[in-house]
Amino acid sequence: MPTLRIDATSENLAAVRRFVREAAADAGAAGDAIDDLVQAVDEAVTNVVVHGYGSAGGSVEVEVGQRGEALLIRIVDDAPAFDPTAVPEPDLASPLRQRRLGGMGVHLVRGLCDEVRYRQDGNGRNELTLIKRTSTKVEEEPWISR
Amino acid sequence: MDLQVTTDESGGRPVSVLAVSGEVDHATFQAIIDRARALYAEGARRLVIDLSGVTYLGSSGLVALHSAALIFAGLEPPDPEAGWSAFHGMRDDSEAGATENVRLLSPSPRAASVLERTGMRTLFEVFDDRAAAVASF
Repeated sequence: MPTLRIDATSENLAAVRRFVREAAADAGAAGDAIDDLVQAVDEAVTNVVVHGYGSAGGSVEVEVGQRGEALLIRIVDDAPAFDPTAVPEPDLASPLRQRRLGGMGVHLVRGLCDEVRYRQDGNGRNELTLIKRTSTKVEEEPWISR
Repeated sequence: MDLQVTTDESGGRPVSVLAVSGEVDHATFQAIIDRARALYAEGARRLVIDLSGVTYLGSSGLVALHSAALIFAGLEPPDPEAGWSAFHGMRDDSEAGATENVRLLSPSPRAASVLERTGMRTLFEVFDDRAAAVASF
């Protein structure tokens, strides 16, 4: 399955988005689902770049796979353990000057995907899996393990 | 990402129109803040941000819009490079005026979707017509 391994830098985010867009299209996803996935992955990888590695730097791996009628994108990094699924939802009704913008990326990831899973893999790496249903029927490929 | 600034005086008072095009992500959003700050330093006090050419708007772009609004409200936004958690520490109970000097113009469908999903849409006056946006101050 298509995999991109890349230095976790802001400058590489455009390449991450391009990779996800092409892989999702190749998998038969429709336009809106592709746009949603591209944004979800960008937000998740941005969090790895900004909050995960920070100035220390590191690499991130993005893997696009299919299971049934869903696309599964696995994002793996070696930054300190961080579970985005445990981040509280931002208060979208709060005034602008008090707005907690830092949580917006995670909020978008959740809203744009059908399911978001986090675990630490056997090597202690962060593994975030984004699941997005598509309307296209694809061959069963249960490659993801929990 | 590309930024173009024009000054529109059709409404009687000068309004800066900042046209943003291309992809706004964590690699590019700071340029919007820098441009807004430079315009304000040069004396601009009313800003229309044209989002019609935006092909991607990440949450970093929302920070840029947020920061531009604060700059044009006469406030200095926290430095995003110091960590976004700095935004958590903002203290000001007064919402009045926070976006009164900034308008958004014609967000592309993708940008509009992101503004809607994050609740940012309700914090700004959004126009589909440039003349109306310029005349709204």
